[in-house]
Amino acid sequence: MHISDGILAPEWCLVWFAIAIVFIAVGVWQIKRGTKENASYLPLLAMMGAVVFVISVWHIPVPVSGSCSHPIGTPMSAIIVGPFPTVVLGAIALFFQAFFGHGGLTTLGANVVSMGIVGGFSGYLIFVLLRTVNSPLWLAAGMAGFIGDVLCYLTTALQLALSVNPGSVLSHWAIYMVGYMPTQLPLAVAEFVFTAGIVQYIADRRPDLLAKKLWGGVPSA
Amino acid sequence: MLDRFTKTALVLMVVIAAIILIVAYLGYIGDQGKMKGIGPIVEKHAASTVANVAPVSLVPTITDLVGKFWGFTIAGIVAGFIVGYLWTGLFRRQEDA
Repeated sequence: MHISDGILAPEWCLVWFAIAIVFIAVGVWQIKRGTKENASYLPLLAMMGAVVFVISVWHIPVPVSGSCSHPIGTPMSAIIVGPFPTVVLGAIALFFQAFFGHGGLTTLGANVVSMGIVGGFSGYLIFVLLRTVNSPLWLAAGMAGFIGDVLCYLTTALQLALSVNPGSVLSHWAIYMVGYMPTQLPLAVAEFVFTAGIVQYIADRRPDLLAKKLWGGVPSA
Repeated sequence: MLDRFTKTALVLMVVIAAIILIVAYLGYIGDQGKMKGIGPIVEKHAASTVANVAPVSLVPTITDLVGKFWGFTIAGIVAGFIVGYLWTGLFRRQEDA
């Protein structure tokens, strides 16, 4: 989902930056508040930042499709540290990944929107929704990972279609989705597994660390 | 004698390392190490549909400097130390208390 420099039109780069900056600003404000309320929050954020960086740059071969791709990690991060701070973590991870040939600087806003905002928020909302209907914690977390991963790539496909093919957005969106999905769906299953496992582990071990205390109302176990 | 936390962490570490090695090996033998990222493939296809659009690199990349293998290895090790250090601090605290 890392869109490189030179692919998106300048006006679309600005649009995605404008959207991303709003979420990053709220995220920074929540991080400041969270660190005052909970001493464990800052090391947890730092750990999740490193985790998101590694997960979203870790190319895993998918033999059935003959190509490789990566999970995104932001749904898991959104459940653990909250969705807005996850946007900040995603932006930092994506900035450094640009120096590893993944993504770019002009497309940073677009990549933050797909991975940080759509991936994180959709995962978090799925998690909250499933927990509200008394789904087991591991299932809610796993589905958050799966759906967040898929929606992230659907967003990237839309970003490409909107900028590169403005005259035929829907058809090219479909084409790009078809390109991504054979590789990404198996990795979304992997995202399900590790999101479910890690969130369940943390809930068993340190339920106080989950976002429920800071962003209220999410039953954790 | 290892406590429960240490046992779990060690088992997880071995399992994750095994998964990484297995998928890396499958990728290597699956396409003789030529498996490309799906992102650049779709991106290249998108660029090919119109003129004047092509992926470029505006910043010097670490992987250009030291190669992909060492670049990602160093990044993984650094991130691994950060995660390991903080994980231990966060998840041992309750047990020790």
